[in-house]
Amino acid sequence: MHITELLPEERIRLRVPVRDRDAAIDLLTDLLAQTGGTKDRAALRAGILAREEQGSTAIGGGIAVPHVKSAAVDAPALAALTVPGGVGWGAPDGAPTDLIFLIAAPADGGETHLELLAQLMGMLLDPAFTQRLRDAERPAAFRSVIDGKEEDGRAAPAPGSGRSDGAPRIVAVTACPTGIAHTYLAAEALERAGQALSISVKVETQGSGGAKHVLTPEEIAGAEAVLIAADREVDLSRFRGKPLLRVPVGEGIRRPEDLLRQAPSAPVWQGGGPAAPPPDETAGRRFYQQLMNGVSHMLPFVIGGGILIALAFLLDDPALGYETFGTNRPIAAWCKAVGGTAFAFMLPVLAGYIALAIGDRPALMPGFVGGALAMSGATFAQPDGSGVSAGFLGALIAGFAAGWLVRLLQRLCGRLPKALEGIKPVLIYPVAGLLLTGLVLCAVDPVMGMLNDGLYAALSAMGRGSRILLGFTAAAMMAIDMGGPFNKAAYLFGTSTLAMADLSAGGSGVMAAVMAGGMVPPLAIALAVSLFPDRFSPAERRSGPVNYLMGLCFITEGAIPFAAADPLRTIPACAVGAGAAGALSMLFGCASPAPHGGIFVLPVMARRLAFFGAVAAGTAAGALLLALLKRSRPQTTHT
Amino acid sequence: MVSAKTRIVDPMGMHMRPAQRFVQTVMPFACDVTVLANGREVDGRSIMDLMSACLKQGMEIEIRCEGRREAECLQAAVALVESGMDR
Repeated sequence: MHITELLPEERIRLRVPVRDRDAAIDLLTDLLAQTGGTKDRAALRAGILAREEQGSTAIGGGIAVPHVKSAAVDAPALAALTVPGGVGWGAPDGAPTDLIFLIAAPADGGETHLELLAQLMGMLLDPAFTQRLRDAERPAAFRSVIDGKEEDGRAAPAPGSGRSDGAPRIVAVTACPTGIAHTYLAAEALERAGQALSISVKVETQGSGGAKHVLTPEEIAGAEAVLIAADREVDLSRFRGKPLLRVPVGEGIRRPEDLLRQAPSAPVWQGGGPAAPPPDETAGRRFYQQLMNGVSHMLPFVIGGGILIALAFLLDDPALGYETFGTNRPIAAWCKAVGGTAFAFMLPVLAGYIALAIGDRPALMPGFVGGALAMSGATFAQPDGSGVSAGFLGALIAGFAAGWLVRLLQRLCGRLPKALEGIKPVLIYPVAGLLLTGLVLCAVDPVMGMLNDGLYAALSAMGRGSRILLGFTAAAMMAIDMGGPFNKAAYLFGTSTLAMADLSAGGSGVMAAVMAGGMVPPLAIALAVSLFPDRFSPAERRSGPVNYLMGLCFITEGAIPFAAADPLRTIPACAVGAGAAGALSMLFGCASPAPHGGIFVLPVMARRLAFFGAVAAGTAAGALLLALLKRSRPQTTHT
Repeated sequence: MVSAKTRIVDPMGMHMRPAQRFVQTVMPFACDVTVLANGREVDGRSIMDLMSACLKQGMEIEIRCEGRREAECLQAAVALVESGMDR
């Protein structure tokens, strides 16, 4: 059976911008209906949507194959669509889908359906082929690409029939941020190109399941050149002294043959700084990758620490002491200490791994320490770290500053005599890198400190005005930097009102508003992930649900990985949701006698149901706003 | 490496949903998984590869797993195929 026999030109639409998945399905079913492919468009459409509900038919790599067996068609029929920029289709790699084939088969179609799917899949495995489909401007060209591929398919050996044998002439590493699809597609494309060019190639895939086909030192030593096709940082230290070509993973899929030819003439990698960045990588994209390197390493600390702290509240009894809730019982205190220790690594790890991504290994130490300095708020005036924490925003600054300062040092040291080469990594980079990063933090931390003092004073002044406005402001501040000057000022203000509050009347209203504000950000993010998974990366989708627990326990830090990855959208959404919760909490006259504990201190709060309602309303508002803001941006295409 | 032979029982064969389930089943074990059928070898961790092999009901396939948890991986994969995959 020829694919093109089932796919006349009238059933191909190219480069049509559609709003979302359902609009694409509407268009494809219209194409079939207009060309006599189906006698019941509505039934066909319903069947396709029902199939999508069982699981997305997006298969990664920007491709989706919605399909249905339906009584609405008499004979197998295909329709095809390409969408510039793509639409969200729930793909396993989280990438937008821009190449869509609709397959409709009759209900009694037997095995034709399977054969059609198999035939199409076999063709779509070839990234060069899918690229030609995407490049096609007219349906006739699209069809002839398929025809050409079908001819090839009969001549070429079956895919996966063999890997290159013998010592590889070129060794390659492929990697993408999620490590699900592109890593393997690029590896396959490179291996095939190697076969076509009779160049022996070995590809190490650094995917989500760990590195596979790991290159041995002998193979690296024996290879002519090294090719890195990766959209994330790859440890290059083993390739020192080899010609090394570094490109984004997509290049490995699109033009593997060119890359294999070019690699031997690439400059020899001498170590030190990162390899020349991929040529077509934009500054914004690099920035994002560096940021995500920090966030992904920080995430386990947030989750592990957060859950242990939540456990501490679960195992404790607030009646034993409101002020010390979470540490009243030894087991709770221990859990809280272990979780707190994990939290203490959060900002250093964030800053350290951002720096590592920029300046390679020499930048790791200054980044780590910079993050710790941001956390302690150490300055000239308060070197002991009793200052105000610069929070995660400060840690972001520290990480980028450390990375770039070390890059700068590497460039400056390039002029030093060769004899000094050995002392660079053991003396110059650590000492100068640390000193410079520390100085940068001396500039950042006091600003944060002054901000903190000013905010505290402003809140105190507001305390004499509208209580609802105060509740909104204090709660929104909790969400702005989740541990930085805004958050600390609001929290400190909340606890200071506890001292004056009448505990028999339930405690402090400001404290309740502040707690509501601190609970909303993780809750809003968790809700947004549950309701709108399309707008989050696969890693975010996996870690999202943990935020329900963290939010309920008033562990605002759960939101940090999300806020750090996309601050401009996440922070405003969280702040508005938190503010709304705080304002409602004030309006309802809620009050809390305890500074910690979230949902666990609910039983001792005044007007607890109203407080719960305020938090729920703020969460819903924050989640919706986050979904709206995230929608308004074109999906970042990583993997 | 461990391997086992089994037979496709799903009347629809290895269509997309079973292929997705197969990949999801073997992924957590972080093993290399190869499926041999029709005289071809395909990567058992790729939906597209699995589907391109056109595995129909009644067809005998061989599954090979290689990695630290290969035995568990193979057991899970065979159990899935024998369960009919599509339930």
